[in-house]
Amino acid sequence: MARIPIEEGFFRIPDDPAEPPRLLGSRCPSCGEVFFPRRLVCAKCLHEGCEDVDLSTRGRLWTWTYCHAPLFGKKDADVPGYGVGQVDLAEGPRVQSILLGGPDDFEIGMELEIDLETLRENEDGDEIVIYRFRPAAEYFNGVA
Amino acid sequence: MRRGLRFEGVAVAGVGMVPFGMLPERPILHLARDAGLLALHDAEMTLADVDEAFVGYIQLASMVGIKAMKELGLTGLPVTHIENASATGLVAFREAAWAVSSGRADVAMALCFDKFTDMAGGGGRAGGGRGGGRDVIDAPILPASYFALWAQRRMHDRGTKPEHFAAIAAKNWNYGAVCPTAHRRSDHTVTVDEVLGSRIVAEPLTTMMCCPADDGAACVILAREDLVRSRQPGRALVRPLASALQSETYARGHTFVGPVVGPSTMTRDTARECYEAAGLGPEDVNVAFCHDAFVNEELEYYELLGFCAEGEGDKLVEEGQTGPGGRIPFNTDGGLIARGHPGGPTGLAQIHESVLQLRGDADGRQVDGARIALAHLVGGGSICTVNLLERTD
Ligand SMILES: [Zn+2]
Repeated sequence: MARIPIEEGFFRIPDDPAEPPRLLGSRCPSCGEVFFPRRLVCAKCLHEGCEDVDLSTRGRLWTWTYCHAPLFGKKDADVPGYGVGQVDLAEGPRVQSILLGGPDDFEIGMELEIDLETLRENEDGDEIVIYRFRPAAEYFNGVA
Repeated sequence: MRRGLRFEGVAVAGVGMVPFGMLPERPILHLARDAGLLALHDAEMTLADVDEAFVGYIQLASMVGIKAMKELGLTGLPVTHIENASATGLVAFREAAWAVSSGRADVAMALCFDKFTDMAGGGGRAGGGRGGGRDVIDAPILPASYFALWAQRRMHDRGTKPEHFAAIAAKNWNYGAVCPTAHRRSDHTVTVDEVLGSRIVAEPLTTMMCCPADDGAACVILAREDLVRSRQPGRALVRPLASALQSETYARGHTFVGPVVGPSTMTRDTARECYEAAGLGPEDVNVAFCHDAFVNEELEYYELLGFCAEGEGDKLVEEGQTGPGGRIPFNTDGGLIARGHPGGPTGLAQIHESVLQLRGDADGRQVDGARIALAHLVGGGSICTVNLLERTD
């Protein structure tokens, strides 16, 4: 049974299940701007030929909400609700993502770390996964 | 880069729309035909008078626009499809106005229609504009969540309360109740508590703060001003003045994946270009229409369209300045929240209501003495358009 990204080219899944996934980004060699997802032409200075980079596995929560509508890709499952957020990575990109946690677990400005959410299994028994962010471990110290 | 367009010698000849709503029993071609005929009748024209047409929709297959035009007749006129997400209708209007202003057409038609009740599950917009489906990275984040993210950040930065959002929604529901072409026509006065008490979709947005899915069609006919004056002597003349249309400028914080309509500041830049092209400012505008698919957007646009200073939108709501009798009534047909949001025709419904307001024909919701109207929409993928119309005697 393997873990398969919902769509190729956006993130890499390490062989070690304890390792977090890595978002695949681009860095412009001319102006230094960093993007997610990967792109050829720099959106800032229009330089052709951005270079591949792996992005941070942690970021800071810019804004969040808690959604009560069915989660796409998971609508066969009974999902009471889920967090959604925009996460600023240290290199610059702002990433929209599902968040792990309940409606009382999030706060603008908090540190988050990336992991994987399983959306469903395909007919071969492989898990279809997408990246998500969750409050960083230190938020659970003495709490969870 | 030149962006704002100023229109010269163009006037509205006719407008028409079918009331928006869930209309599963009505074929899309009939909705389009009926809106087209209403506008032709209002203009006292037939399709033989129309030199060029721009058709738009966002949820239907290719070619439907040509088929819809055939319902009005087969005269050989050039027909061009326009698609710009939620802003499609206003962009069709802009192209028709420019066709006349540039001299290539004496009469041009913008006809838009859409049918959400044909969509499996009632809504295909959740795919983030990359074709939908559940196997794309964009799919898990719904448009409601996307705009809820704006709302949460606004509350954090400015201390805005859900009550502010609910007050705007109640205003739009109550405008919709007195607009015959609106989808949601409440039989009672909607209150802030009722809006806050409806089911939560994505914090802090409740169902009554979100637009419905709609079917609908709307049409606007533009013509040379001298033609309209000679054909319709004695009627108040409404002229499109200027239009601005922008895709997005890159800025740090842009999100490339998931629902995207760009930063809210895109509205400020587009409005500035439109005001400059028209030689007007926000102080000249008497009635305004904006993209209130999710009601917190309307609050942001009060500021970004220049009707108050940054951070003072909450005060405008508290003072009731954007409702009946206020300084700048917004979305007097109920907006996307109550009039409805089929997609393509939404912008033309804004023009329809603008024209009724400027003619003085908006019974029960008329803005006294309205002379300048503003119509704004954003569209997924990140575009924004702002348009100004004027009544002249
Ligand atoms: Zn660059």
